[in-house]
Amino acid sequence: MSSKPVIATKNLTKVYGKKSSMVKALDKVSLEINRGESVAIIGKSGSGKSTLMHVLALLDAPSSGKVEIGGQDATKLKKRQINRARNRHFGFVFQQFFMNSRDTVLNNVMLPLKIAGIRKSERKRRAMEVLKIVDLTSKAKAKANDLSGGQKQRVCIARALINNPVVIFADEPTGNLDSTTGAMVENLLFNLNKEKNITLIIVTHDEDLAARCSRQIHLKDGKIIQDSVTTNKKGGRG
Amino acid sequence: MKLPDIIRNANSNLFRNKGRTFLTILAVFIGSFTIIATSAIRTGVSNYIDAQLDAAGGEGYVEIMPKALQELMQSMMSFGSSGPTEYNPETNSTEMTIISPDDMKKISKIPGIQSVKGARNVSVEYIASDKTNKKYLIMPNALPTDRINIDIAEGRLIKINSDLPEITLQPGYATALGYKSDADIIGEMIELGVVEEATMKLQTVKAEVVGVLNKSIINMGRSWINEALQEKILDVIYAGMPESYRNMTVFATAEWDKSLGDEGLEKIKDELDKLGFVGTTINDQIGMVKAFFDAIILVFTIFGGIALLAASIGIINTLFMAVQERTREIGLMKAIGLGKGKIFLTFSIEAISLGFWGSAIGVGVAYLAKIIINPIASDTFLKDLPGFNLMEFDVPLLACLILLVMAVAFLAGTLPARRAANKDPIEALRYE
Repeated sequence: MSSKPVIATKNLTKVYGKKSSMVKALDKVSLEINRGESVAIIGKSGSGKSTLMHVLALLDAPSSGKVEIGGQDATKLKKRQINRARNRHFGFVFQQFFMNSRDTVLNNVMLPLKIAGIRKSERKRRAMEVLKIVDLTSKAKAKANDLSGGQKQRVCIARALINNPVVIFADEPTGNLDSTTGAMVENLLFNLNKEKNITLIIVTHDEDLAARCSRQIHLKDGKIIQDSVTTNKKGGRG
Repeated sequence: MKLPDIIRNANSNLFRNKGRTFLTILAVFIGSFTIIATSAIRTGVSNYIDAQLDAAGGEGYVEIMPKALQELMQSMMSFGSSGPTEYNPETNSTEMTIISPDDMKKISKIPGIQSVKGARNVSVEYIASDKTNKKYLIMPNALPTDRINIDIAEGRLIKINSDLPEITLQPGYATALGYKSDADIIGEMIELGVVEEATMKLQTVKAEVVGVLNKSIINMGRSWINEALQEKILDVIYAGMPESYRNMTVFATAEWDKSLGDEGLEKIKDELDKLGFVGTTINDQIGMVKAFFDAIILVFTIFGGIALLAASIGIINTLFMAVQERTREIGLMKAIGLGKGKIFLTFSIEAISLGFWGSAIGVGVAYLAKIIINPIASDTFLKDLPGFNLMEFDVPLLACLILLVMAVAFLAGTLPARRAANKDPIEALRYE
């Protein structure tokens, strides 16, 4: 385990709008997330939890403050390097799946490697590997559209896994699923967290899901109001 | 993302909405086909004219006529619309409308002119042979120079300075005169009927057929004769008349030094102008027809260009719709690390593909049209012009056209491609 935190922020502030209509989505957020943690970012809508995830995932730049990825100041990285970092080290799972529904499961899963410029045979090999992990090998040739919601989210997890990420960002991963399939997806994510030591950062307002994480960060009006570690779970702050 | 993957992606994206893609390609096709077909006809016509020009000796000689005669002819032609032209003894006297032996000397001294010959009145009544009783009309002309390349079907061109009277005939005379084929008449003696102008008595002159010409639009039915035959005909026509009659001429043909190029030719024409003559080459005569033809071609090309312009607006529209539809996909790809440049490239390649397919199909259909139309044209309205292929493809020109259409499509695609490239991934993922 690296001694440096996977992601660290210092006085992170994100402001939308100008002067009179100015909204502070994030207000001096400082935190450190270490390898292998499972972190839930919790808050009401408008609390800034999505913005925090976007900034941590380098999808958005802060108005001020610092984001460090593996000890490196991300605000000093070039656009290319940021794109590369997201492609190589991060995985994304979204509530609405975001798949190319007319394309096959296999092609959807391979997309990050295609973007990375990895050759076709290797893409396919790795895709079959991750499909095995999410138990969807038999659906590789199926059209993404023909899958159930739970299956779709598992395809998305496979897609997030294919580049061997350090961190998986999940934005309400069970928000569109019923409780049974939701639980299955949750189990999958936490198993990956345990077995592959992948850091999980989950944005949710589902208290049960948040409780399963090793750490809960509560946001209100862009400020961290509570940062607690669940001690009865494996993991902790480093 | 590697370039082959981007190209594959772009093309499979195009076929997600087959109907829309097909219609856009159809629009590009209509514009490209118009331009390609017109340019093929243009190439066909100019190839034919060039071949004919070469066959007629190209720009090897200048035809000379007095300016006063040209003016007289023009004033007669335009009489109906402009009324009579006032007589001016300085410029309009009969003396000014002929080329005198003195003038010939002056013309021959113009630098760049190698030789000059006056066109004599060598009109004959008929041509006949001993194989048949039938007699045929013929228009012989003294060949100004045998250093030019004339399109011969059988035998050879006449030798100008040969002591023996020689003639090359237009196609068709051989069989009309009772010979089996063009080859059969070579080396045979034929008979020309010539009338003495003073007495109207009919005489005959014999000449050897040394060659048969190919059909041509430029020779205009001229059968070429050599000096020896010309002199024999003139002997009959001007029998008993003063020598000056015989030497009178209104047209002359001068050979010029081709190595002087167009500039040299212009200088020669200027010199002729100073002496009171007009010099024209075959190119000048063809030039007028060509200019008219080129104007028609230009109009069609402009139509094609307008159609292409409309098609490129279609491309813009198609791609804007595609960008709209794929907003979330673009957002996702950007989120998982695809750079701005590559998204721009994907949409640009889609635009270029639309241009490529449209113009490639245009080339294909134009090629089919060529295969179908050329034989039909050759059998009907181009029947009398052997070697005239209505449509001909100039391959480098076609390649340039396809590239041009692709470039236009690319330019059209830049607008939507930029919009796609500049999408903010977060906004795009939120898009419903």
